[in-house]
Parts: sequence; C-alpha cells; structure tokens
Amino acid sequence: MSGANHDGWPVDPKTGKPLEQLAHPGYYPGFRTLSQKDFWDEATRKIVLARVDDIPSIRFFSPEDLELMTAVCNRILPQDDRDDLHKIPVVNYIDERLYVNRLDGYRFEGMPPDQEAYRLGLQGIAEVARYLFSRRFVDLNPLDQEVVLKTLHDGNPPAGHEVWRRMPVERFWLLLVQDVVGAYYAHPYAWDEIGFGGPAYPRGYMRLENGEPEPWEENERRYQWAAPPGSPSAEFSPVAGSTEHKGSPGQGGTH
Amino acid sequence: MKTPLFGAFEPPEHKHMLGAIQHIDLPMRRYKNDEQVDFCIVGVGSAGGVLLQRLARAGFSVVGLEAGPFWDTERDWVSDEAGSYNLYWNELRITGGQDPLALGANNSGRGVGGGSVHWAGFTPRLHPSDFRIHSGDGVGVDWPISYADIKPYYELLEKEIPVSGPAYYPWGDPHGYPYGPHPMGGCGDILIKGCTKLGIGVSIGGPVAILAGSHGDRPHCIYRGFCIQGCKVGAKQSTLISHVPDGLKHGAEIREHCMVSRINLGKNGRVSGVTYLDRNGIEDAQKAKAVIVCGYAIETPRLLLNSACPGHENGLANSSGTVGHYLMAQAGNVVLGRFEELVRMYKAPPAHALTEEFYETDPKRGFARGFAVQTVSPLPISFARQMMVAKGAWGWGMRQLMMDYNHWGAIALLGEILPWDDNRVELATEKDRNGIPVAKVTFNLHDNDKKLIEFGKNKVMEIMQAAGAEEVVQEARYAHLVGGARMGNDPRQSVVDKFGRSHDIPNLFVCDGSVMPTQGSANPGLTIQSLAARTADYLISQRGAGFTKLTPAESQLPIRYDLSPPGTRGKGVPRLA
Repeated sequence: MSGANHDGWPVDPKTGKPLEQLAHPGYYPGFRTLSQKDFWDEATRKIVLARVDDIPSIRFFSPEDLELMTAVCNRILPQDDRDDLHKIPVVNYIDERLYVNRLDGYRFEGMPPDQEAYRLGLQGIAEVARYLFSRRFVDLNPLDQEVVLKTLHDGNPPAGHEVWRRMPVERFWLLLVQDVVGAYYAHPYAWDEIGFGGPAYPRGYMRLENGEPEPWEENERRYQWAAPPGSPSAEFSPVAGSTEHKGSPGQGGTH
Repeated sequence: MKTPLFGAFEPPEHKHMLGAIQHIDLPMRRYKNDEQVDFCIVGVGSAGGVLLQRLARAGFSVVGLEAGPFWDTERDWVSDEAGSYNLYWNELRITGGQDPLALGANNSGRGVGGGSVHWAGFTPRLHPSDFRIHSGDGVGVDWPISYADIKPYYELLEKEIPVSGPAYYPWGDPHGYPYGPHPMGGCGDILIKGCTKLGIGVSIGGPVAILAGSHGDRPHCIYRGFCIQGCKVGAKQSTLISHVPDGLKHGAEIREHCMVSRINLGKNGRVSGVTYLDRNGIEDAQKAKAVIVCGYAIETPRLLLNSACPGHENGLANSSGTVGHYLMAQAGNVVLGRFEELVRMYKAPPAHALTEEFYETDPKRGFARGFAVQTVSPLPISFARQMMVAKGAWGWGMRQLMMDYNHWGAIALLGEILPWDDNRVELATEKDRNGIPVAKVTFNLHDNDKKLIEFGKNKVMEIMQAAGAEEVVQEARYAHLVGGARMGNDPRQSVVDKFGRSHDIPNLFVCDGSVMPTQGSANPGLTIQSLAARTADYLISQRGAGFTKLTPAESQLPIRYDLSPPGTRGKGVPRLA
C-alpha cells in the first residue's frame, strides 16, 4: 500500500480531498492506552506489549495465500488512513490461530475445519475477482476489491460455486470478519482510535457515569470524515440479506 | 505521574494467588490413584467447586479432576479481551440444527471455577413458578422439587458468594441481599431511564456475585469492567476463590489438566472410578466409592455417552434414553443503542441492573413463560462482532462505527426457551486430540420460543428507545446452557433423581446445570451452586449407605448450616433468618 496512490482513501467530506495519514486516527487525539502500561499488572502488560513488539511470524499461509489474505484483510478493515508505522497487524494473528489450531470451541455442522475453510474461501474470492474483473484480486484497486468482497457479504458470489457448495458463503464471511475484527480491536492502537480505556487492573475506573473520562483519558474531539466515495463497505446492509443470523458467532459471554 | 504509587505491579513470588490479596498454600494433598477415595468429582466448576468444599469439610476424601488449569489469577488472567481466550472450553464441538448455538466463549468454561470464572455474575433466583411450568402453563415439565426445597440453599449461597443487591427484591419470592447494591455504569443508567419512562420496575446494583464491600481476603469491586475475562481483583465470585480454598484446607485434592475420558463400571454394576488423560495425554485412573459428574450441559452428557459399556450400550445412566436430551439455552438477544452523548460502557461490571417485570406467563402475549431484561456491556471485540451481524458492518463502515464505540450502550433479553426432546447432545464422528468422540449439539427453536423471542426483543428495543437512543439495532444470540441430564421422579423420563443420583447406578451422580429440567429466565449460576450444596447435604446424610443400594430419596433432607466457608455468618445486611 503505497502513499502515492490515494485511490480508496477516506476523504474530508467538506473538501472531498483524501485524509492525511495519521499515526492516530479517531476522535481522541493524544489518548494513548500504552502510556498507562506501568499501571497495569504484569501479566496484562506482557500480553498487550507483545502485540506491538512481538508480532507472530507467518507459518500457515503459503506465500500466494498470504498475499491474497493480506489484501483481503486490508479491505475487511482498511487502514489506508493509518501511517505505515502505526498499521495494525491482522493477518499474522489469523495465521497463528490456524497454525496452532486454536479453535473457538465449536464448528458449524457443514463447515470444514477452519484451516480448510480459509483455503477454500481464498480460492472463492480469487475466482470471484477473476469472474468480475478478469484480474487477480491483489491487482484490483481498493474499490473493486470491495465490490468482490461485497458479493460474499451479500451471500451472492457470482463465481466459485464449487467452493460455496462445500461451505456456506455467509458462514465463511462471518468467520473471516470476526477473525479480522478480533485481531484489529485487540491492538492498543485500535483502543486509542475508539477511546477505549484498555486494561484497568489494579487501578480500576472511578468515573462510571455520563461518559466522563478518567483523569488519564481524553475527551472526544470529533472531526468529519467519510469513506472513499463509492465504497460498498461504507453502506450498512445485513449479511446475506438477513439480520437474523442462525448461529451468529456469539461473544465472550455478554451475560 | 509517570510511575504507579507502589511501583510496577507484579505478582508476589512463591504465592498462588486467588484474587489480588487471597492466596493459598500449595502443594495440596495428593491421593494415590489406586486408593479408593470417597468421592471423585469430574469437573471443578460452579457445582464441582461447591461440592468439593462441602464434602471435604464434612470429612470425606475428595478428588476433583479438572480438564483445565488450576488458575493463579495474578499470573494466568489478564485485563484484556483477546488475551482471556484460555478461560473458555475451546476444544472442538460440532453445532447444528435449525438454530445452531455458538459455544466456546459464549457459554463454556474450562479450568477450576469453570463457568463461574467468566460469568458476568448475575445471580437472580428462579421463581416459584419455574418449578411447575407443566402444571402451571401446560408447557415443559415440572421439577421433582419445589421452590421451597431449594430456597434455603439460595439463602445460604447468597451469603457464601456473597451477593450484592437491593435490600428488597420484588420478583418471584421477594427477598433481599446480604451486601448492598453497586453504583450504576452507563448501561445501567440506560436501563433505568428506559424502564422508568415506560413504567417498568427495575432493580439496580444487583443481584450480582460481585462484592460491593470487602469480604475477608476479597477486596470490593474496582469497576474495571473485565468481569467476564476473569476477575483478577477477586471481587466477583467464582468457586475458585469462594469455595475451593476452604475445600483444599480440609484435605480435598484438585488434579488439574486431567480430562476424564470414561467412567468405569465394576463387576457389581456400580461405578468404580474414572479413567483420565493427564496434561501429557497419558492415561491414568482414579478409584472412588462414588463418582459425581459436574461437566456442565455438554461435557456431562458426552462423558456419560462415551462411557458406554456392556450392559449400558447407550451410555451410562441412559436407560431412559434421555441423556443429552432437553438441552436448553436462553434467548440472549443483545440490543444496542447509539446515544448522542458518551456512554463509555466498558466501565463498571457488565451485570449491574435488570428487570423481571416480564418473567411470568401473561396470556395476553400469546406464549407461555417470559423473560428478563439485563445490562450487558460488550468490550470492543465483542461489540464489533455484534455489529458485524446487527448492522452487517465491515470495511469502512465498521471502522467508522467503531470510532463511535463510546456512544453505544447495550442491554439484553434473557428469555426462557422451553426444554425440547430434539435439542440435544450426541456423539459426533469427529474425535478430539486424545481420540475421544466430541459432542455434537443440535438446537431448534420451537413456536413458543420464537414468539417469546420476537416479543421480548421488541420490548427490549422499546426500552432502549425510551432511554433516548437515536439508533437501535439488535443481534440475535443465546446465553447459558442447561439440561442434558435432567432430574425427575420417573426413571423412564429422566437421568437422575431429585438429589442428582442416577436412576440406573446408585453410586453415580450428576450435579451441574445439566440436571435442570427447565431454566426460567434467571441466569443459572446461583441455581447450579445451590443445587450443588443441596446434593452435598444429601450425600453427607447418606454416609456411605447410599452407595450400596438404591434408597428412596428422602423427603426431608437435613440442611447443614455449618458447612459454609469461614466468614460467611453474620456478614452483610442483617437478616432474621
């Protein structure tokens, strides 16, 4: 992702010009969860700092799959507005999960094992790209890449039928998106972006109501920005046309 | 301020920590494998932890075999969402049916403390009506016990946990709580505002298994919001910190990383102990006079089915054919609302306010039974995954929406789904890494369930709107698991009797959420722990005689008030009882 080509970058809606890349996008400028690391317990500090300093190397994806998977992750959660020093590693964590076979505790009936699901899914994405644009997914511009992925999101990919016969497309889509957001929003840079206070033991939180910041948190300072014009992912639409997902992934037991 | 007041925080050396202050002395007692202990407990979770403590305190020799680790909370747990992965049962299971359940982090614990390590900590009681929904509403099945049978154990466990909540709780059998309520966080305020506007009664600050005041070696809550990632503070109860230490002090043993693969049957037709695989996958066995299976709603049926042997070809304790059947999850639709002002829902425990105003059957609604509405406060990863489904968010839409994380609040439905024969646990063709067949879970919603969810979901959305949300969306999901080895009086229709003894084998017991015949709209944790205390009293009252012949379950069970962990009596809000 080079800085020269501004295709697919988010824009300032007033001027229509691409946003500048920032170390720290989001509405909480100056807020750094990592500045609080000395106040965290040792076990937590270790695990969070490793996400910045000790990124797992690639062991599962083949070089070709890695190239494609990286491009896919860059559209599932685009980071064009982040400068190169502050991009959040995503594919490495999915690779690690698949390499060590770290499961989520269940597999839907009719789904292959996760490793197989990713291999098949990438094949399906490649076939849709070829069908729609007669090019490799990785060679498409960002908006066309989104067009390809949107067909999966809609549950209606126009190619790769053999793949989707073996694996329901919406199941793969949800698996992929949940893995990508699981890696991105685990990162302290992402916490800075959304104003999440991060680890809070042993110190705790004391301002519980009315959205008040702790003394070490920042107030929100909003600015206007818009997704790149024409971006299919900027519009919300239900996965495969339905919000009633049979067996949506579930979370760390919300209650 | 560049450095913390007391220096960088590191766990104290040579101490096994259970919370910020409490620690235990190890090594613990180690029984010999060929020594016949009184009780072998399979799974030291919500029920197993309470049983282990009580049986040890009553003087029995007890070994608890736990598939997961014996946590040191300072070293093993983190204040971090992704890093808490190990708290859950993440081994393979197959999930299917028309409405497949998400498992793993959604509802399944692993390690000492089990589900009580990652529960949000809501501890409502079941209502008296829950024990007779067949008689009362013509649906499901009646329990073999009544509310009066479990009430003394609710009262005991509420003190032992101890539960924080209002001095007067108006729903079901009205009662109060030993510790005062908690302050509100953003989602609690939303629930109160919405309910109050609609004239719906609401309970604030509990009931939750989270300390609003310090208790012995356990500090009060610090409102850091990571309850379901394991409470490092030790303010939220898990049996790991409330009961297990006392059990070990009284000579119980917990063998961690030991996955029981089968229950062994002796020549006399009674169980003789269990076979298990240790952390290196090496097979070993433990002899015991009685085996109590406490593996929760999926692993308990799986173990019983995997223990099939000559004379019990369909699995142990399965002459009725109901092992694994009548599995239940609660409807847990999460309703998310965006507010113009900031909420910052990551602060304060996710569980801190609820209403049971819709709990009982209302014929006007057109379905049987009801639901509760509770606060939930998803952390960023969970929130993003909810939005992936609720709004179909991805790409730039997801990035933009997540930048508004602090503007969103969440409350949720907790609705009763009825017990159905076709919702069940069976053995899959797939095997785990030890070669043991894994569980296959089938789940289908039925007509009453669908109507209840539709009505309940809309009611929760109405509350969210009334609270002032400018946008309201919802994600359909399920919470908790119970059933799969249900208790009953009829051996042809149930797996265990009203004390948890299997109908088929006199020294084989089941004690965990799987014995529940129905589930109400109450989070099951308190009921599971209370049933465990009741089963313990029964086992103690039997004193060995119970293991040699089938005795008719006694109608009057002597309640032992002297088996609580120390520091329980005389604490909290004074009660006459």
